[in-house]
Amino acid sequence: MKRTIELRLTRAEGAIVRTLGLIERRGFAVTAISTRSDASSETLLLRLEVVSADRSFDVLVRQILRLFDVRAVLLMESQQGDARAAC
Amino acid sequence: MKGAAALLAALRELGVDTVFGYPGGAIMPVYDALLDSGIRHVLVRHEQAAAFAADGYARVSGRPGVCIATSGPGATNLITGIANAYLDSVPLIAITGQVATPLMGTDAFQEVDIFGMTLPVVKHSYIVRHIEDIPRIVHEAWKIASSGRPGPVLIDLPKNIAAGEAHGITRLIEPQPPDRQPDAIFISRAAALIAAAERPVIYAGGGIGIARAIKAFREFVAATGIPVVSTLKGLGAVPTDEPLFLGMMGMHGTRASNSAVQESDLLIVVGARFDDRATGKLDGFAPCARVIHLDIDPAEIGKLRRADVALVGDLGALLAALHARPRVGAWRRRCLNLKAQHAWRYDAPGDGIYAPDLLRRLAVAADGELTLTCDVGQHQMWVAQHCLIRSPERHLSSGGLGAMGYGLPAAIGAHYADPTRPAVSVSGDGSIMINIQELATLRRYGLPVKILLIDNQSLGMVRQWQELFFERRFSEVDLFDNPDFAEVARSFGVDALTIDTRGQIDEAIDALLNHPGALLVHCRIDPAANVWPLVPPGHTNATMLEGAMK
Ligand SMILES: Cc1ncc(C[n+]2csc(CCOP(=O)(O)OP(=O)(O)O)c2C)c(N)n1
Repeated sequence: MKRTIELRLTRAEGAIVRTLGLIERRGFAVTAISTRSDASSETLLLRLEVVSADRSFDVLVRQILRLFDVRAVLLMESQQGDARAAC
Repeated sequence: MKGAAALLAALRELGVDTVFGYPGGAIMPVYDALLDSGIRHVLVRHEQAAAFAADGYARVSGRPGVCIATSGPGATNLITGIANAYLDSVPLIAITGQVATPLMGTDAFQEVDIFGMTLPVVKHSYIVRHIEDIPRIVHEAWKIASSGRPGPVLIDLPKNIAAGEAHGITRLIEPQPPDRQPDAIFISRAAALIAAAERPVIYAGGGIGIARAIKAFREFVAATGIPVVSTLKGLGAVPTDEPLFLGMMGMHGTRASNSAVQESDLLIVVGARFDDRATGKLDGFAPCARVIHLDIDPAEIGKLRRADVALVGDLGALLAALHARPRVGAWRRRCLNLKAQHAWRYDAPGDGIYAPDLLRRLAVAADGELTLTCDVGQHQMWVAQHCLIRSPERHLSSGGLGAMGYGLPAAIGAHYADPTRPAVSVSGDGSIMINIQELATLRRYGLPVKILLIDNQSLGMVRQWQELFFERRFSEVDLFDNPDFAEVARSFGVDALTIDTRGQIDEAIDALLNHPGALLVHCRIDPAANVWPLVPPGHTNATMLEGAMK
C-alpha cells in the first residue's frame, strides 16, 4: 500500500536523516520526497510517498511522532483522500 | 567558563555525582575539567563497560546514568551499550569527544560520525556546535532520556567546543506538559472487559519497573486476584514467590504461564511490547484473548498485536484508575493447579552442581535482597526461572539486545547506585570473557561485587540450539581451552574459589553473601546441561520441549 505522509520538522542537525532512517528501518520504502522550509526557516516541511506491503501506517506515524525533532505528522487517508492530523 | 566545565556544571545541577568513562584525545578538556568538578569518575577498562555500568546505575537508581568516551574508537566502543539501553528503555547520557569542528568531515585522526552511527539506537542525539548551547543541551538531553519511555541520548562534543570559553549561556526552560489524566472512557471500557472476562491473565513487562509503578501494579493484582505472568524484564513486578505469579512466559517460560496465556480470554498487558521471545509465533499467541494494552509509549499500541482497549500514559496512574472485580475463582484455581503440577524440580541425579538449584538457593539465602545482574545465555535463563526476585531493579538483564558482557559492568553500576545492596553478577564462561577486564575496576575501587561464574566449558545456549535444531553439528561452541578463571581473578587482585560438587554449594553461597570484598566463585557444571522447558523457534508457546535434568 502507498500512502502520503506530511511532516513538519525542527530544522536541527540530523532531523531529516533520523526521520527517513526510521521510516526505512521500520519496513517502509520512501518512493518520493519533496521538502520546503516555512517562512521563518525554523521548520522543514517534508512530503513523502511511503510504501509498505504489510506494516501499519498508524503505528509508523506514532513511531515518527516519538522523534524529538518532529513537530507534526499528517497521514493522508488515501492517495486522493483527506488528510488526518496525527498531532 | 570553558565548555567542558559548563558541561559538568550542568550535570552537577541535575544531581549527577558519578560518571563512568575512559579518557582519550578529543575528550581531554572534559577530563581536565572533571578534576575540579566534584563529580566522581569511575575509570572502567573498556568503553563498552562504561555504557553498561551507566545502564546498571540507571536501572537501580531510576535516574539517567552517564558515560563518557573519547572520539573514534572510544565512541564506537560505546555503541553496544547505547543499543542495550535503547532496546531496554534505560535512561542514559552518552558523552563522546569529537574532533574539533574545523576538522569534522575531513577524516581526521580518530574522527568517526558517531552521531550518524548511533541514529537508530538513540532516543535523541546532539552535536554541540556552540559553547553557549551546552547547558541547554545537557538539560534537554536529561529530560528526553528520563521522560516518557526512557532511552539513551548521545551528546557529541567537539574538542574546540569543550576547550573554548563560553560567552553567555542559553538555557531553555521548557514548560512542563500537563500530566495526562487517564481517559475515563477507555478506563471504563477496560474495566468492563475485565469484569466480563472468565480467564484473564496479567502480562507484566519491564515498563512497570521503569515507570516505578510497582506499588500500583501490586495493588491492582491484589484487588483483581488475576494470575500474573511476566516477561524477562517484568520479573519482580510482583515478587516471584507471590502465589498468583505463574512465572516467566515465552521461550524459556514456565508451562503454567505459557498455558495460562494460551488459554486466556483476556490479556491485560502492562508495560510490555509483545517481544518475540515472549510471544513465540505471534499468529498463535493467546489465540482467544482480547487485549487491554497499557503503555507510556503510543507507538507500542498495535505494533504487533491489536489492542481491544489501549490505555496510554503513566502506568501508575492508569493502574490506580482501573478498578474491576472479575469473578475468576475457578480460573485462578486452574492456573494454580497448572503451577503446582509443573513446579520446578531440583532433584537432579549425581553429585555435580545443578545450576538452577545453586541459583535458587543463593537467592533464597539472600531473601531476594541482592541485585542480580546477568550475562547472556543459559545461566541468564536459569536466573530468570529460578531466582527469587523481589523487584525489577534487583534483576538486571540485557533483555532486548541480549548482550554478552553486560553482567559485570552492570553490577559495578548497580553498586554505585546502591552500595547498601550486595551486587552479584551471574555469568557464563563465554560471557565473562567479553568484559573480564572489569575485574581491574573492582580491584581499583575496592568494590565488593561478587561474580558467580557458571562454567559449562561451552557457549552453552548456542550449543543447546545446535544440539536441538542443527542435528548436533557443534560449531565453535567448545570452550575446552578456557583459562583457569580463579587464577585469572587472583591475578587481578580479586579473591576466587572454585567449586564442582554439590557438597560445596553452602560454602560458596556463604562466601558470595559474606565475603568482605570482591569475589569470583568459579562453578563447574555439566557441559551437557540444557535449559528447559523450551519453545522451539517458529512455534507457538503451546509447544514446549522438555528434557532431562543434568
Ligand atoms: C556479544 C554477544 N555475542 C554473541 C551472542 C550470541 N550468544 C548468545 S548466548 C551465547 C553463549 C553464551 O555462553 P556463556 O556465556 O558461556 O553462557 P551459557 O549459555 O553457557 O550459560 C552466545 C554466543 C550474544 N548474545 N552476545
